[in-house]
Parts: sequence; C-alpha cells; structure tokens
Amino acid sequence: MKSGILAGILLATMTAGAALAQSGAPIKLANVAELSGGGATVGTNWKNGIDLAIEEINAKGGVLGRKLEVTHADSQSNPGVARAQVQKALDGEPYVLLGPGYSGSVKVTAPLAAEAGIAQIMGGEAAELTQGGNKFLFRTSFGQQSSMPKVAKYINDEVKAKSVAIVWVNNDFGRGGRDVITKELAKYNIKVAADLSTEAGQADFAADVSKIKGAAPDAVFVYLNEEESARILKELKRQGVTVPLIGETTLVGQKVVELAGDAANGARGHVGLTTDAPVDLIKAFREKFSKKYNYVPDHNGIKGYLAIYMIKATTEKMGKVDSKAFADNLHGLTIKATSEPGILMDATFDQNGDIDRQGFLVEIVDGKQVIKQVLPKLN
Amino acid sequence: MSALKRYWRVALGMVVIAALIIAPMYLNRYGLFILSQWAVMTIAATGLNLTLGYAGQVSLAQGAFVGIGAYAAAIMTANGMPLIAGLGVAIVLCFAIGWILGYPALRVQHHYLAFVTLAFSTLAFLVFRNESWLTNGIYGISNIPRPTILGYPTNRPLPFYYVCLGSLALVSLATWWLIRSPWGRAFVALRENPVRALSLGIDTRRYTLMAFAIGSALGGVAGTLYAPLTQYIDPVPFNLSLSLDLLMMVIVGGSGFFFGPFLGAMIAVLLPEWLRFTQGYYLMIYAVAVILLLIYSPTGILGILDRYLTERRTKAASALRAVAKSGLEPAP
Repeated sequence: MKSGILAGILLATMTAGAALAQSGAPIKLANVAELSGGGATVGTNWKNGIDLAIEEINAKGGVLGRKLEVTHADSQSNPGVARAQVQKALDGEPYVLLGPGYSGSVKVTAPLAAEAGIAQIMGGEAAELTQGGNKFLFRTSFGQQSSMPKVAKYINDEVKAKSVAIVWVNNDFGRGGRDVITKELAKYNIKVAADLSTEAGQADFAADVSKIKGAAPDAVFVYLNEEESARILKELKRQGVTVPLIGETTLVGQKVVELAGDAANGARGHVGLTTDAPVDLIKAFREKFSKKYNYVPDHNGIKGYLAIYMIKATTEKMGKVDSKAFADNLHGLTIKATSEPGILMDATFDQNGDIDRQGFLVEIVDGKQVIKQVLPKLN
Repeated sequence: MSALKRYWRVALGMVVIAALIIAPMYLNRYGLFILSQWAVMTIAATGLNLTLGYAGQVSLAQGAFVGIGAYAAAIMTANGMPLIAGLGVAIVLCFAIGWILGYPALRVQHHYLAFVTLAFSTLAFLVFRNESWLTNGIYGISNIPRPTILGYPTNRPLPFYYVCLGSLALVSLATWWLIRSPWGRAFVALRENPVRALSLGIDTRRYTLMAFAIGSALGGVAGTLYAPLTQYIDPVPFNLSLSLDLLMMVIVGGSGFFFGPFLGAMIAVLLPEWLRFTQGYYLMIYAVAVILLLIYSPTGILGILDRYLTERRTKAASALRAVAKSGLEPAP
C-alpha cells in the first residue's frame, strides 16, 4: 500500500516535471470579476467576452503554439473580497491578471499586481486609476478623462449650450464622470444649472426631472446606468423637456432604446465602445457572442474580449511568453485590426496604460443609433 | 465537571491556539488574508454576541459600527497619526453612538428594535458616501498604512495576521472576563426576564445601554483592523449586508455561546472560500447549507453540541435515578 502511494507520488512528480518542460503547456491567466452582487452584469459580460476570445484562439492553435487557460473568481462586487481573490490569483503566478471591473476593486488590487510584477488588464473607467504611475495597469476602454473632454467640446461647439443640468448616479462610475465633466464644462464657461445625484436602481425620476425643468438649462447631461437612463428618458418625455439630452455609452446603447422606446429618440452621446458601432468586426463579434450566450453583450463583453486579444498581440510581438516583460511591451504598442482582427478597432496603449482608439458621436433616430460624427484616434 | 474533562478542554484549547499561531507560517498570502479576515469578523461578531446573545437586543447596525471604526482608522492613519490613536477614537465614538442608539431599545423590542437599528445602518452608509469632505465619498480612501508596533513593521501579511490574532485574543479575554462578571450576569438576566431583573434591583436601563455601547465598541475595534487589512475602504462593504452577515455569524455559530462567533465567522468567511471549486454555484450551496443548518438547529452549531451534552446528562441522571429507585424497592 505504502509503496503504491510512493510510486503514485513519483509518477505524479515526473509527469508534472515533464509538463513544465514541454513548451506546449497552457498559458495560465487569472480573472477576478464581479460575478455576483451589484456588478454582476458587468462581471458576467466581461467573463463571457474572455471565454469567447479564448475559445476562438485555442481553436486556432493558441498563442505561440500554446493554449490559453483562464480561472474565474468572483469578487462579489466587494473590494475586500476582490483583494483576497486577486491575492489568491497572484499566488498561482498567472501570466496576466484580468479584471476587476469596478474602479474601487481595481484601486485595492492594483498595488498587489504591481508588487508581483504581473500586468493587470482591467475594466475600471475612473480617471485616477492610470494617473498614479502604476506601470502594470492597462485599460480596455476610455477612461473618463479621455471621453468627457470630447463630450464637453461637443456641448460647446455643436449644441452651443450655455447652461447644462447634470444628472448622475451616485456610485464611483457616475460620480467620477460628473466630476470630470463639471471641470471640462468650466473650461468653456458653461454653467451647471442643476447638479442632481440619483441612486443606482432608482425607479422614479419625476422629482429629478421637475428640478431640471425648474432650472431651465440649454441641455441635459445624463450619466446613469442603462436601466435608469431609460427611465429618466421616459420621464423627460412625459414632462415635456425638449432640450438636447446628451450622455455617454450608457445613454444611447441598444438596451436603452429597447427599454425607453420612443422616448429615446433624440438622445445623443459619445460612445467609445459599442456593440452597435458601424464596424464590421464589431458586428461579427456581436453575432458570435449572441449566438453563444443567447443575449446581446454590452460594452463590458467587448472589453473582456479585447483583453485577451491584447495579450495575444503583445505575446506574439515579444515572440515568447514572458510575464515580467509583458507590461513593458504593451506600453506604446499599437495593435492594428488588419493584422489582429480580434482587437476590433486599431488601438494604441500609452505609457500610463490608457487606450487610444476611434470614438463615435451618435444620435438615436427612430429607435436606431445613427453615427453623427466619427472621432478619430488622437495619434 | 470532572478534573479529567477540564484537562481535555484545556488541552484542546491549547492545540487550537498553537495551530492558529504556527499553521499560518506555512500559508500563502491569500490564506493569511482570509484568516486575518476571520479574526477581524470574529471580533465584530463577538461584540454583536454581547448585545444579541447575552443581552437579547437585536441589532442590525453592527456593520455600521465596523464602518465607523474603519473610517476613523483610515482617516487618522492617512493623516499620519498612529493606528492606536484611530483605535482610541473608534472605541470612544462607537461606544458613545452605541449608547445613544441603545435608547430606542428601552422602548421597543425585537423586530421593532431591528428596524430602528436598520435605519441607523442606512444612515451611516449615507454619511460615509455623501460626506465627501470627510470620507472621500464613493472614491474611498486608499493606501491606508499598516502600523509599526514596537518598532516592528507589520506590512507583510504574516505580521499583520498576528496583529489581528493578538487583538482577537485580547478582545476574547476581556469578553470572557466581562460575561463572568456581575455585568455579564446582569446582561443574561436582562435577556431572560427583564421584569424580574428589574425587581431584583438590576438597573435594566443602564445595562441595556451598556450592552449596546460595549457591543458597538467592539464593532469599532474590528473596523480599526479592517481598514489596514484591506488598505482601501469605500462605503460599499459597510452597507446593510455586512450587518446581516454579522447577525448570521452570531446566530449560526450559536447566539449566547462564548465560542459561537468564532465558529460563525469561520462559516461566513471560510465556507464560501472552500466552496469556490463549485464555480458559479458556491454562493447558492453556501446559502442552502446555512438554511439547512438553521432548520436542523435553530440555536446554531454550538446549540447542537449543547443539546447533545444536555441529553447525555439527562440520560445519565435518569439512569442514576433508576438505579436508586430499584435499590429502594423491596425485594419480591
């Protein structure tokens, strides 16, 4: 009996050793995301995007001949749990860390990944995340510091508004956006006529809308999540507010159009990443995603998908799987959609880990997103 | 209790304590973080156990007190003050607020009291979130430093685990002493029959407030450790769900048993981690396990043990009685 166990251990060690020696061993990735709690929609889209990309890449033979393998851990949308799970993921020495999506959870985990020298590709959009000099943190979408200036410029140049009412959702996403847009509007001397904080999951916007009416602004900037955006659009229509309604990805998404119906018509916004973008590769992605998971992804699905293709492109550029050199190589890298279709649109990563990419200004006309203006890449 | 049994108990206690000290040396950083979290949550649950288990006052505000402690520690240490100062402020603040929150408990009981404390919990969350000048609002406070104790830095996970474990030991000793003091007896009297307690000359009013204040202060102590443990706090972890979690820890472990919170926190912190191998199902399995446990034993895990011991004692006593009875009966 004892010798049997011994032989078993010996065999196990040998096979493990052999597996390590073989260059075809899978590349381990670790994902920590909001799979339950308040951020479950965000985290689940992100996770499914990751799984879809990995499935595609592995079907084509993997990266440098090695398959990708990912573990998913749930942060329960709680920074304390996120910290524990990221610690666990890092103890397993992954090639790259993926997630989390909530900015607070990114803040608490980024120092751990940096200390371990492992690159972290995340979904958070708060402006300050990439401004602390962390050399290992990368975005998959525009931070608010790059999207809001474009919105402010649009409000000034095209809408020519002199005063704006701001409605925002009081969480780190909404508050971050509100703080940046307020600063940007001030640069154009645009007055903030009303500054309305609302709750995530709020059902009734009657009081907020009547305050907006009272303030009589030239335009309303709406920065809420999709469901709440649809509700406030309906209420704005009901109370007869006719000034331009301007927002971001979350105001003009397909889901808002479905929920708000007619009330969504006329809403405009800046969209960095949308499954409705008039880009063939994104349309194809949307098709594949909906087929696999039976629902239309939001931008978090694209973000997870992109994260994996960022890893693929960077690794192929290095020509080797080197966790320590990964971050250095992704800084300053431009990934072209022509050579790596999985990146969907040309993207450049700067020294802070911020992403530069095409953006769109869209308006809802007859329940459809119409691109009014394509905002080019900065460099 | 026979001497032999007592030795066994002491030996078991020694083994557990030794394991808590030695085993973590071989754990990775993740294991240490989870164990430290267990120690912190045990302190908070011990506080609630005093309020709920011993004094019988239902509170849904313990999570808010953990938050108050955490913010006190975070704000003060981020401004260069030592953690011990944060601890002092947290204890005094939580004690005072807990005392004030105890006043409604003089008028309402049970689920009505739960609603009052629930309102307080929501209020505290709104203060954490909206008073940005003090708490930095929804952005939270990052880079909370870990303390240096007697010139020894505790930045690494293992030393900080010992800080948490040491604090837990101190809190446990103090609680142990408290529930065996006349105060502890008064708390139990309050829970069992407030009218009789009053007629026996116990100042029920003062002890009700005291039970709230001391329990809340322990919540503050836990918060003071939570902030440097995660090194980042925002309002979200201190919402109502933490209070409910702590309540569950106390009830699942065994409300009114000294070691109840230890076991309850173990279930609430460690069980979901062990179940993670089931991927998307872990929270569901965890919930079902807790429900089944409470159906089987409404008095918690230690309730099972207690029931078993009582049964054995009853059986032994009946056997003795039977023997004594047969000895008395005249021979046929």
